[in-house]
Amino acid sequence: MSNPIVSTQSLTKVYGQGAAAVRALDGVNLTIQPGEFVAVMGPSGCGKSTLLHLIGGLDRPTSGTVWLDGQDLTQLNDDQVTAIRRKKMGFIFQFFNLIPVLNALENAALPMILDGMRPAEARKRAQEWLERVGLGHRLTHRPSELSGGEQQRVAIARALASDPALILADEPTGNLDSRASEEIAGLLRQISSTWERTILMVTHDARIAAYADRIVFLKDGKIVDETVLEHRNGEQAEMVADKMKEIGD
Amino acid sequence: MNLYLTLAFRYLGGRKLRTALTTLAIVFGVMVIFGMNTYMPTFIKTFQTQAKAAAGQVDLTITQKTGEAFDPTVLNQIRAVDGVTVATGSLERLINLPANYVDGNPGTPDRITAVILKGIVPQEARQMIAYNIVEGRFLEEGDTRAAVITRSLAREFGIGLGDTLTLPTAIGLSDLTVVGILPEQILPGNEVVLVSLAEAQRLTNMPGKINIVDANLDSMEEARRNEIQQNVLKAIGDAYKIGALEAGSEILTNIRNAQSIFNLMGFLALVMGGFIIFNTFRTIIAERRRDIGMLRALGASRRTIRWLILTEGLIQGVIGTALGLVLGYLFGAFTLNLVTPMMQEFLNITVSTPAISPALVLTSILLGVGITVLSGLIPANSATRITPLEALRPSLGNVSFKRIAGISFWAGVVLLTIAVGFLFTGSMEWLGLGALLFVGAIILMAPALVNPISILFASLLTLLFARDGTAQLAEGNLSRQPGRATVTASTTMIALAVVVMMAGVLSSVSLTFIHVMEKSLGSDYLIMPPTLAVWGSNTGAAPQLADDLRRVPGVTVVSTLRFAGTQMKDIAVGILGIEPQSYRELDLLSFTRGDPEAVYRAMENERVMIINGVLAAAAGIQPGDEVEVLTPMGKQTYRVAAVATDYLNAKTTTAYISQRFIEEDFGREEDIFFQINVAPDADRQAVESAFSAILKDYPQFKLVDGKKYVEENARLFDAVFLGMYVLAAFLAIPSLIAMVNTLAIGVIERTREIGMLRAVGAIRRQVRRMILSEALILSAIGTAFGILAGLYMGYMGVKAFEAMGYPMDYIFPGSGILAAVAIGILFGALAAVVPARQAARLDVVEALRYE
Repeated sequence: MSNPIVSTQSLTKVYGQGAAAVRALDGVNLTIQPGEFVAVMGPSGCGKSTLLHLIGGLDRPTSGTVWLDGQDLTQLNDDQVTAIRRKKMGFIFQFFNLIPVLNALENAALPMILDGMRPAEARKRAQEWLERVGLGHRLTHRPSELSGGEQQRVAIARALASDPALILADEPTGNLDSRASEEIAGLLRQISSTWERTILMVTHDARIAAYADRIVFLKDGKIVDETVLEHRNGEQAEMVADKMKEIGD
Repeated sequence: MNLYLTLAFRYLGGRKLRTALTTLAIVFGVMVIFGMNTYMPTFIKTFQTQAKAAAGQVDLTITQKTGEAFDPTVLNQIRAVDGVTVATGSLERLINLPANYVDGNPGTPDRITAVILKGIVPQEARQMIAYNIVEGRFLEEGDTRAAVITRSLAREFGIGLGDTLTLPTAIGLSDLTVVGILPEQILPGNEVVLVSLAEAQRLTNMPGKINIVDANLDSMEEARRNEIQQNVLKAIGDAYKIGALEAGSEILTNIRNAQSIFNLMGFLALVMGGFIIFNTFRTIIAERRRDIGMLRALGASRRTIRWLILTEGLIQGVIGTALGLVLGYLFGAFTLNLVTPMMQEFLNITVSTPAISPALVLTSILLGVGITVLSGLIPANSATRITPLEALRPSLGNVSFKRIAGISFWAGVVLLTIAVGFLFTGSMEWLGLGALLFVGAIILMAPALVNPISILFASLLTLLFARDGTAQLAEGNLSRQPGRATVTASTTMIALAVVVMMAGVLSSVSLTFIHVMEKSLGSDYLIMPPTLAVWGSNTGAAPQLADDLRRVPGVTVVSTLRFAGTQMKDIAVGILGIEPQSYRELDLLSFTRGDPEAVYRAMENERVMIINGVLAAAAGIQPGDEVEVLTPMGKQTYRVAAVATDYLNAKTTTAYISQRFIEEDFGREEDIFFQINVAPDADRQAVESAFSAILKDYPQFKLVDGKKYVEENARLFDAVFLGMYVLAAFLAIPSLIAMVNTLAIGVIERTREIGMLRAVGAIRRQVRRMILSEALILSAIGTAFGILAGLYMGYMGVKAFEAMGYPMDYIFPGSGILAAVAIGILFGALAAVVPARQAARLDVVEALRYE
């Protein structure tokens, strides 16, 4: 087996102090292989977003380590982690988080421009990805002129354009209707299968999680179960939902 | 385009109104600083060149310290000094020309407004300066009524060789024949009319006198030249100085003061502008937490974020400054247009176009752009501290109810006490320091006072809004962020403090001055020279004119003024010779100390002087003191008997003595100003036409109706004060923008809370009222502190005027306070409009989902 792209050891995050302390994550060990599409599920407050934030270098753990592509993020300073986010990670958020004053093309090109790429080159690559996600006809539209599903596609193109090692998706369909949600889930599947990108997705929606290769179940900050899916096209959604009920959604 | 610029332009363009309002503050500041300085320095320079006699290219110019004429015997003492090769005496006098004297056309201002009449000894003068005659001949011994002028002057007057040049002089209009032409005058300064020394003495009514000695030395070596200079001074005594004649230095000081005041105002406007930029950026960052956090999540470094924010500031600074420069130039041109006729009339100065120097442009740009970028720095730094997580899950509006009546509050109380104590010192320096301490004290004390004041005003608002709870909510919202409330209220405070202070000072100044003016210029007719208050540069008239005026039927009193310059305790002082009898009759002086009757009586036969307040303060002398006065005949001792002021000389160091002694001690017989009363039943028209006939030979004088003059001046005062109030109002506008911003931040941060309020049943009107209440409480806090600070500073300003020697009565600025309260309430209500609408329109579901 090749080296994992992500590996956490005894990852722990405690919020607050003393009697008010809350263990959001409690000694999580998780490994993700290159090209793998992993979904993290669990009831509200189980620590799934915290896990995503720690792996994405958006937050620092109380203890434990996070290895990304051979580097221990916990040993790096803010500037170094920022550079890694820029070069090796792509983010997809629940609320899309596009810059309202930039158009679709400019939004998708943003991480590459931030990384110092020539604007013309950045825009060319952004355009390619926007076309791949089906937005070739919406390049100059601003976020306010796009539907929720379209905005999320821009965010996906943005996450992919800089060719990152890992794509982190935080409830990517949380703000979409069910049709758009299915479309986005299918797109994520395509990203993994066709374009061989690694994806770590946090979701509470069983239908969306059923597009992943593997589902990790969290409860009270600990991994309580793992399931490897066979079909990976949403067909096993019911089984995933049952599992969630089992662990107490 | 570069990412920073793209984002900055798009964000700025997305909030056009706010961008415009914020930029406006910078525009205003740059406009005042740039505009003022496009003409003030030119103004001062013109004034200086006009006031200074052209010194020529000689090694040494020696004049009396008083600027007065002296006996030519001094020449022998100078010639006797070892190292002096040649020395010659001359008599120079600036002749201010009446308006339109040169071209006779009121439509175009004359290019030449004054000439220097220079009386020389032809042979000696040519040894000193190589006069290059281009046409005709140079002056010769024994020439009478002959003059040599430059080609440029000849052209202006439209005359040539052999023609007559007519000049207003002390003996009336005098004709001179042009016998020689000098080359064009290239250097700036007044044109010179060369005549023989005897001719100049006749024309200026100063027989046997000179006022300048020019000398050349035998060495070019610095040390040797200094040694000779010292020896010359030793030989002639300390009544003389080395250097050209200067006149009007008192007025120059006033102009410079005005320039500093305007610069200060511009700077204050810029600081206010900076404050709004600071405030606006804080709002921007609150609004864009999510965007900024997302950029950080995507890998934007802290530096990138800082530059994004600073680029916006930079763009606003550059645009604001550019607009400010353009408007400043127009403002300068407009102001010049406005004041030029006045300046021509009263000071005989013409400045036609605003002058732009590279240094001025650079300073304005540095100030405008610099202050904007600096103001953006703190918010930009705070933006870099936004973590990606904070932005994805923004925290709710912070609450900081920490105890604040701590050390800073009590330090403020101590400073305040000291500042109030300084009011009683009567010293300018202490009063100035007191003002600083006072403002510092208020800033230190304000956060602790926000809560009690909020509670007080909230109770008032509760009465107004009939207990729907919004006032309490508003009070709570402000109290939970007292720091921010203070910062916002402080802009209102500064603005209103300026309004109240100006109201206090201006009403006191205007009342006092109008009172003095009515008294000192209240006679029926005034006959005025071209330049008021800078008496030394005027050509007066021999006593014959006053006698002629007295003979006009219906005239009851003619009182004249004579002028001489002197020094007392090393301070330049204008000595005015008055006729005690007629001055008493006309009651022209406003006495602050001393008994007028006794003083006027004593002046007739003794060396007794009345000094004005400015002189009393500057020289530290008071009634009862004996002072040594430098005169062309040596030192004389005068007894100071009273302190009194007249309108025209209120701002310059002035002493009044009787005409008998100005003649005895200063050799002055020249009348420069006339005040005339006529009998109540006199035929005014006949009197006026008789005056005009007499004055035909003295075009340097102007006949003015005393009452009309006072009215016109009072109107001028009103206009100037109105202008000042408008400027103060301009300074207040930035505080409005700051308040809008703070309220807007509050709404953004509390989106979810407002959603909750709506969800539990608050109607839109209640939400609007809550925001309105916050605005009103904020402005009430600012207004309360502003009035306090303004009252202190206004009182201090009046005390400062008093300390400078002006007779002042403090007038409580009741109208200013009313205006401040009105502005405060109006601004509070205006500031609330946009944020209140924004809050009331929030979609309840969206707002509750907002994280």
